[in-house]
Amino acid sequence: MADLELRGVEKSFGGMTVINGVDLSVGDGEFVVFVGPSGCGKSTLLRMIAGLEHITGGEIAIGGRVVNRLSAPERGIAMVFQSYALYPHMSVRQNMSFGLELQRRPKAEIARKVQNAADILQLGPYLDRMPKALSGGQRQRVAIGRAIVREPEVFLFDEPLSNLDAALRGQTRLEIARLHARLGATMIYVTHDQTEAMTLADRIVVLNAGRIEQVGTPLELYRKPVNAFVAGFIGGQTMNFLPLTDGALPLAREGASVELGAQAVMLGIRPEHLRLAPQPEADLLGRVDVIEEFGEFSLLHLELVSASHAGAGSQPRLITVKVERPVAAGETVGLTIERDHIHAFDASGRVLAA
Amino acid sequence: MSDNPDHPSRAMAIALAFLAVIWVSPFAWLVSNAVDPLAGGQLRLPAAIGPDNFIRAMSGSAAEQFRNSLFIAAGTATLTLIVASGAAYALSRLRVPGRNAFLWSLVLLRMLPPTGILVPIYFAAQRAGILNNTGVIVALTVLNLPFAMLLLKNFFDTVPIELEEAAHVEGASLLTILRRIVLPMSRAGLAVVWFFSFTGAWNEFMFPLLFSRTTSAFPMSIGLYSAFGRQGAIDYGYLAAFSIIYAAPAIAVYFMLRRNMNTGFAGVGVKG
Repeated sequence: MADLELRGVEKSFGGMTVINGVDLSVGDGEFVVFVGPSGCGKSTLLRMIAGLEHITGGEIAIGGRVVNRLSAPERGIAMVFQSYALYPHMSVRQNMSFGLELQRRPKAEIARKVQNAADILQLGPYLDRMPKALSGGQRQRVAIGRAIVREPEVFLFDEPLSNLDAALRGQTRLEIARLHARLGATMIYVTHDQTEAMTLADRIVVLNAGRIEQVGTPLELYRKPVNAFVAGFIGGQTMNFLPLTDGALPLAREGASVELGAQAVMLGIRPEHLRLAPQPEADLLGRVDVIEEFGEFSLLHLELVSASHAGAGSQPRLITVKVERPVAAGETVGLTIERDHIHAFDASGRVLAA
Repeated sequence: MSDNPDHPSRAMAIALAFLAVIWVSPFAWLVSNAVDPLAGGQLRLPAAIGPDNFIRAMSGSAAEQFRNSLFIAAGTATLTLIVASGAAYALSRLRVPGRNAFLWSLVLLRMLPPTGILVPIYFAAQRAGILNNTGVIVALTVLNLPFAMLLLKNFFDTVPIELEEAAHVEGASLLTILRRIVLPMSRAGLAVVWFFSFTGAWNEFMFPLLFSRTTSAFPMSIGLYSAFGRQGAIDYGYLAAFSIIYAAPAIAVYFMLRRNMNTGFAGVGVKG
């Protein structure tokens, strides 16, 4: 087990820079998730840590040792691929012992480690099966088992759950969390799914266009996003952004407004921080356009109808609200904004201190 | 014309039977003459049945020719496989600009009739001092390479790069990755290439005719040709038995590899 240090790490293909000076330190035993939209460079960054991509600039250190010039097998890492990358012509047992065989470990030791990993992952009954005879979730567990037997200093996961269906994804996510608690190993995990990031991570690294937007615990990112990108990316339902006029959001009640200061151009409020309210007391009025029913809650997509929010053009301003009581489509509802949960953004998208 | 499309008319049946007889008769001739020690070259039921022809066709110079053929065929197939898989792997994995144009231009070269390049090949072999069966192997391998490379490249393309990356992370060298991952997963393609090269070289007539300077170096294809009219009389029984033995390895290889070939051709189809 080891800590991991990225210092000014850069990557360019030809003339195009895909990783733009990333600085990050990951503590020993920490579970860090890289999250971001596709093409943000998160997988490239992971592959650079793994040694599968060259580093154009900066340094990567694992356990205090700069590994820029070391090949992948010398870095003491193990990687779990999105496609599982199981060797199809080898049994589960052979897949899991392949790396140890290459290290010429004694047979007894290999057998013991494979058995141990199989016990952890409940793969015992499948050791002599071929990968094609396994389900997706079992294959993913074999891929994880293959990483475990090598007792790496750092585990790298590249979108390990994206090929699984929703139910299995939740279950395997839980298994990975349990595995981390059990092994206490340093883990770096790449995903585009913010739910995986929120539920698994000790700390989340939000990447966008090859840069780190923010690093923090899941709750920090949820409560105190530093900019509009993070605010919009983190959270089960996307945050609503409302444009301001002269730093203030005019409200439905005559003359009332939310003042956010002269620099503020945008107000952000999460759907769960809007409340249905009787119309006379409402901050905003909206007509229900679409209702998404999730069972435990409903998500309303509203067109704002308060005169001052209808927007300059003909485009109606859409916002979403999370509610727990049924509302009919076409109905006009009043909303109040929870003042404690307002985020104010300046023209460059940065959050203004409350 | 019959009303029932499942039952062909009498004329159709006769025509089909006639075609079948024409198709089968050379094989029937071979078999009936090979098993008949008194064979006279007619298509008829054997007058006697005995293994004499086969025994003669498997001893002496015939046995030597069998060994020569085996050496040429197995040598060509194996050399083709080794060289083509190395080249095809590189072409599959490296981003060489214009690699497809390169491959297809090689195939174009292969389309030219080999007879057209006989003379330069002959002199090249003479200069290199390999005007013998080793030379035949080299010449046939060179001619086999374009198709073999194209076929194997398509097979290697189907091996996901993640598998190699996973093996690399686990500490496998390039040679280990090839030996333990890429080649086992491309077994079907390798088998197809080996089989085609083997039968192609086994059947080859022109190059051995040109390159083999002594009768002891003749493969079976040349042996069969030279056995016509030996000592003034044609020994039909011997020739028929010899032909059957000559055909046997190709058939044996076919059955040995048929399972692999089925998946092999399917693999080619998938990649297009």
